[in-house]
Amino acid sequence: MTTTTTVHMRRLAAVGAAAGALFVAAACSSFFDVPNTNQPNLEDLVTNPTRAKLAAAATGIFANARGDIQGVVWRLGSLGREGINLSGNNQPDYQEPYFLSALIGSGFGGALWGGRYTAIRDVNIYLAALASIDTARVSSAEKAASRAMANTMAALAFLYVIETRDSLGAPIAVDLPISAPPAPFARRDSVYGHILLLLDSARADLTRAGSTAFPFSVPQGFSGLAPNALDFSSPALFVQFNRALAAKARVLRATAAGCGTACYTAALADLAASFLSGPPANFKKGAYFDFSNAAGDAPNGLSEPLNGFTYYAHPSDSVDAQRQVGGLPDQRVIDKIVPAVDTQVLGGIAEIPGKQKFTIYFTSGNADPARPVPVIRDEELVLLRAEAEWFTGSKAPALADLDSVRVNSGKLAPTASIPLTIASPDSVFVKELLYNRRYSLLWEQGTRWIDARRFGRMGDIPKAPPTGGNVAKVMPVPDPECAARGLAVNCTP
Amino acid sequence: MGKHFSVWTLLLSTLVGVAPASAQQRQITGRVSAATGEPVAGVAVSQTGTAFAAVTNADGRYAIAAPAATVTLVFRRIAFKRKEVAVAPDQNTADVSLEPDVFNLEAVVVTGQVTGIERRNAAMATTQVSGEEVSRVPSPALDRALAGRVPGAIISQNSGAPGGGTQIQIRGSNTVIGSPDPLFVVDGVIYSDASLPTGLFTVTRSSSNRGSGEQQDDPVNRLADLNPDDVESIEVLRGAAASSIYGSKAANGVIIIKTNRGKAGKPRANITQRMGFSELLRGPGTRAFSTTDTFPYHLATIQSYVAGGQVPFYDHLKEITDTKPLAYETDLDVGGGTENTRYFLAGSSKRDGGIVGNTFDERQNLRANLDQTFSDRLKLSVSTAFNRTATDKGFTNNDNNGASVTYAIAYVPSFLNVLPRNGVYPAPAITYLGSNPVQTAALAKNTETVYRFTGGATLTWQALQTIHHNLQLVGQGGVDLFQQKAVVISPPELFYEQTQTNPGTSALSNADSRQWNWNLNAIDAYTPSSGSFKATTSAGIQVEDREIGRARVVAKGLLPGQSNIDQASVLQSPFEINAQERTLALYGQEEFLTLHERLLLTAGFRAERSSANGDIHKYFLYPKAAASYRFPNLMGEGTELKVRGAYGETGNQPLFGQKFTTLTTAVIGGSAGTVIQGTAGASDITPEHLKEFEAGVDAQLWHGRATLEVTGYSRHTYDLLLQSTPAPSSGYGTRIFNGGVLWNEGIEIAGGVTPVQTQNLNWIFRTTFTSLKNRVQDLGGICQTGATVCGFRPPIAGFGLAFGEFFIQKGQPITQIIGTDTVAGGGGALVTRYLGQANPRFRWSFLNDVTYRRLSFSMLWDWQYGGVEQNQTLSLYDCNGLAPDQATTAGRARFDACNVWGIAPPFVQSTTFLKLREASLAVELPERWASWIGARNARASITGRNLVLISNYFGYDPEESNFGQQAISRNIDLGPYPPMRSFYFSITAGF
Repeated sequence: MTTTTTVHMRRLAAVGAAAGALFVAAACSSFFDVPNTNQPNLEDLVTNPTRAKLAAAATGIFANARGDIQGVVWRLGSLGREGINLSGNNQPDYQEPYFLSALIGSGFGGALWGGRYTAIRDVNIYLAALASIDTARVSSAEKAASRAMANTMAALAFLYVIETRDSLGAPIAVDLPISAPPAPFARRDSVYGHILLLLDSARADLTRAGSTAFPFSVPQGFSGLAPNALDFSSPALFVQFNRALAAKARVLRATAAGCGTACYTAALADLAASFLSGPPANFKKGAYFDFSNAAGDAPNGLSEPLNGFTYYAHPSDSVDAQRQVGGLPDQRVIDKIVPAVDTQVLGGIAEIPGKQKFTIYFTSGNADPARPVPVIRDEELVLLRAEAEWFTGSKAPALADLDSVRVNSGKLAPTASIPLTIASPDSVFVKELLYNRRYSLLWEQGTRWIDARRFGRMGDIPKAPPTGGNVAKVMPVPDPECAARGLAVNCTP
Repeated sequence: MGKHFSVWTLLLSTLVGVAPASAQQRQITGRVSAATGEPVAGVAVSQTGTAFAAVTNADGRYAIAAPAATVTLVFRRIAFKRKEVAVAPDQNTADVSLEPDVFNLEAVVVTGQVTGIERRNAAMATTQVSGEEVSRVPSPALDRALAGRVPGAIISQNSGAPGGGTQIQIRGSNTVIGSPDPLFVVDGVIYSDASLPTGLFTVTRSSSNRGSGEQQDDPVNRLADLNPDDVESIEVLRGAAASSIYGSKAANGVIIIKTNRGKAGKPRANITQRMGFSELLRGPGTRAFSTTDTFPYHLATIQSYVAGGQVPFYDHLKEITDTKPLAYETDLDVGGGTENTRYFLAGSSKRDGGIVGNTFDERQNLRANLDQTFSDRLKLSVSTAFNRTATDKGFTNNDNNGASVTYAIAYVPSFLNVLPRNGVYPAPAITYLGSNPVQTAALAKNTETVYRFTGGATLTWQALQTIHHNLQLVGQGGVDLFQQKAVVISPPELFYEQTQTNPGTSALSNADSRQWNWNLNAIDAYTPSSGSFKATTSAGIQVEDREIGRARVVAKGLLPGQSNIDQASVLQSPFEINAQERTLALYGQEEFLTLHERLLLTAGFRAERSSANGDIHKYFLYPKAAASYRFPNLMGEGTELKVRGAYGETGNQPLFGQKFTTLTTAVIGGSAGTVIQGTAGASDITPEHLKEFEAGVDAQLWHGRATLEVTGYSRHTYDLLLQSTPAPSSGYGTRIFNGGVLWNEGIEIAGGVTPVQTQNLNWIFRTTFTSLKNRVQDLGGICQTGATVCGFRPPIAGFGLAFGEFFIQKGQPITQIIGTDTVAGGGGALVTRYLGQANPRFRWSFLNDVTYRRLSFSMLWDWQYGGVEQNQTLSLYDCNGLAPDQATTAGRARFDACNVWGIAPPFVQSTTFLKLREASLAVELPERWASWIGARNARASITGRNLVLISNYFGYDPEESNFGQQAISRNIDLGPYPPMRSFYFSITAGF
């Protein structure tokens, strides 16, 4: 090699080394790890969980738990002829529940599904993040408490789903990656089984949590700060809410065939551990969903002034009411329904009049966008206990509970005057039970429709007009759910 | 020809250097001149079969060392045909005269970051356009000036607004939700062509969703910041084989721009002054009412406007476009230097008024390019440019609030007077949401100001130079920064604002963009002693980093006369978004030229990783291979035929954020929580993968006076990025994933001939032809087995099946439009059917350049045949009964189609058109006139852009796009800024 070439070679080597160093520097992996700083994201929550991020996710679970409750009230209330949505802008809102014997999977029939599954996905993400955070940040006891809250809220979401789809079943093993095929549908009884599994595992976790506080803030409707709310803001108290839901699920499962007395008996045990208390003064107490008009928050759209033109009460609510001793209608009707200031009759169809409005969500006699909506309350628990007692043979306590509601909420004469006694057949009891459930829980959770279905009394609900057929028994599987499984619409997977 | 001067760039720099000392050397000198006798600088003079060359200076003189035996010297330079001269052993001078290369056949084609090959050997389809061609007729932006010049590229303007907004679509639609834009590289720096919305949708409420609304803001494409006068040459890499060197940003083609550089010698300066004006090119007429018309208004309504026995007629379109705005432009550039230091400085300032009142586009540019040779081994080349652009585009496009002026005039009948009286605007009785379009045009502000800096440097080091090897190391780096501030003001006195809860809107937006890239390359050219082949091996590493941050706040309820965001009652819709992407790539390439420079074999690859991918550690491979074979003199003396074939792969990067699953806030009781937002990102997302075969034939006939290039290609895009609706039980409403296959196939033809080439008369004719067809071949997980129709609505589809909508469907053309139609003979039954596709059958352009003595005249005609567009402007006029022919049977049928039947075919119209895009008439002024002002030469010209539009399309322009740059959903026309025709008068003096 000549000298010049050696010099060249040395220069080349130097440049090569510099290039190599630059390459190594540039190839540093963290250089390519560009995060998304614009919104919180799932990957970050699950791989770098912190106490604050988990607390925010917990608040999100509470916020989304109330997601569809207004829809539950007016949609199931429309199907059960408790009330109607006449905002006029969207015909499927009143046409479909009132005119179709079988709902279709797009529009009205496809609702009250996706939102619940988003809430369930939120819970599953929270549980994954909770599992991966180290115990120095969130202690084992706190983790148990958080898990319990999350599983209870997931159970609540599944409960809303199965109440609407009933015999069609629903998917339950949905904690799958998005690339996996859709979760298979489970039968109705399996869904109830899953709900109870979640609630029971939550109770075990609450026991494990002991006296630790929740590592997140609990909204007012669950912490006793909202009107009529009870305090469930610590694991020791939250278990009462948990048991109340379990009792409700067990009672619904009992009538869903395949369970019967065993479920009712277990329900009674759950009710004993719940927040159920005797005195009628406590009937309104329970767990509530909060609403408000603050920026970013959701207002209670069900709370409408009397000249509003969206939600109206069905005339059968007044017509079907029993009379008080002095001749006035059932006190619950007087408390909850008044004539509308702005009436509507859509298309001149007599079955869809808009002449009366609900005052259930008023505060001090006025509409209130911040009025909470009950999740489950004492009066409902009393009625659940009445049902469970009767069907497990304790008929006298059942009638005593029923009277407690009849006399105090409705100001009606006791059951003996109907006559309904411990010797009466089941059908007479059921009729009276359903009457009280309908009026005590009017326009709160679609009780009339759900009860009519589970006791085989769909004929009690006024017919669907043009066809004259019975009201639809279930809401169908939404179209996108069928399409994702390669099935035609209105599928039964 | 003044603008064609250039020094050989790196592309041939393997040939430039100093001959090593060797025995038996002699010095050959000479002078190279053009046919006119003028010296030609920058000519590379080399000995055939050797690896280095000398370069002529400003006087055209060169000196090269050669052995004592007979040598053949080759003389090469852009714009001139190469010449080979044998120099006898006793001869020491060789003067040469070069002929012009009209069709740029001697050019060097880019084959890598820093490598190039001569055009006659090139194996891939690329197009070269000179800077003179794109600056002859002023245009709002460089991309618009390329229309009709690039086969394979469908270049369409989005609207007629000043400031530009053009889409370049090369070889069809290759993506659905990825980026549809080609990559722009200016002097080695990746140049941002982002289109940043001003926030107009907050005033027009074109959508309540920010994602969709921003696309309807008619944003300016930032390519408009580049001054076309600064451009020396543009090379468009059309195929995947050519663009694979740029990896996953290059699926839609690459446009490489080089700016002017100084040349050694006496400083040369040019001054250009232009003045011009614009006027409305075309627009929908409006119905003239008679006293007996009964629809859509009651007879009594029309009669109430009768004056003097006649129904008055006001042409509202003319009223809002009645400004004949003046345009001016001043350009100055100076270039010169010594052998070792060459500089080029340029500055320009221009202003174009828009035809709608108060709209305009302004641009000021400063450029400084420097080339410095430190030694015979080390060279540095620096380019810097600073620019300011300001535009006001007015209120146009889709609207749900009454703001867009072209939308509103479709509601105001012609018998209503909306002009101001004594400065007071009347509130029209019949209009859209109470607005008076003339008032809106006068008071609206939709402004944007951008400050930008682009700078880059290239350092070349001749590492090794022997007889056989020439090893170069090249380092390149650059940065492109800009800042945009946009202000949209809709004052409270506007009539449509007065119906709002908080009248008056002011939207303030900011954007910051920073892109930098650097690369290191090594190129080794090896020629054995036999000279039987030349092998060029290159390898390198590239790093790219780009970042953009945007923010906006909207204030409503303005105090009268105020526009600051704190002079309002409510602040709304704040948002901030920051996106960043980083790429690292390694490449290697081999070019093997042999068989007397007839056969070229090329192979290469690029391996790339990016932060946008799910797996940031994984390298994605983009290989390429190409071959070409030349048949010189096959069809007679002075002809060339070359056949070529290429295979290449590129990709299309996922957009920032597509791999993330985001959470959104949900508030309860005053606390903010996080919940799933609803879109499941793909954590394993990969770039779309494009594979293409291309084959072509290039022919030169008649001693270079005729040229023909025919290319055919077939390309598939795999792993298409798609958005689908998963099962709701998953908890998500949208899912992003890779899947699906698109197919595009087409033919590109470019031809040119110089039928007349004499001393006094020169006629050059050029034509380009583009035709393609495409299909959606597969849609991955979207299709369930057994489904008869497998498809989905893209994110932007249209305004309902009653007006036509895009629908991406397996087995159908990618850009198909479907809509509701009546069943033939079905008595009112409706069916959804195929109505056409946005992709035209073909585009064919004709460019004629005639020079007679001192006069030169040129015209560029562009013919598009086929394709359809959703003409929602027509539907506005028809739904309101205001189209000019509404009283006829056909017009009435369209009125019913909108208001009664809800059928789409009348509103999906063919986009066949013939446009005269450019015309220019120039005269070289006599030298003695020029010398009065001390100039060497002077030239005066009259030019026009967008002069003639012939089409059956109703309304404005069949090229329009309401949603701006779109991969699929481009052809939707709804109240756009009307197209303008512009005239300019220019004087250029060279010093």
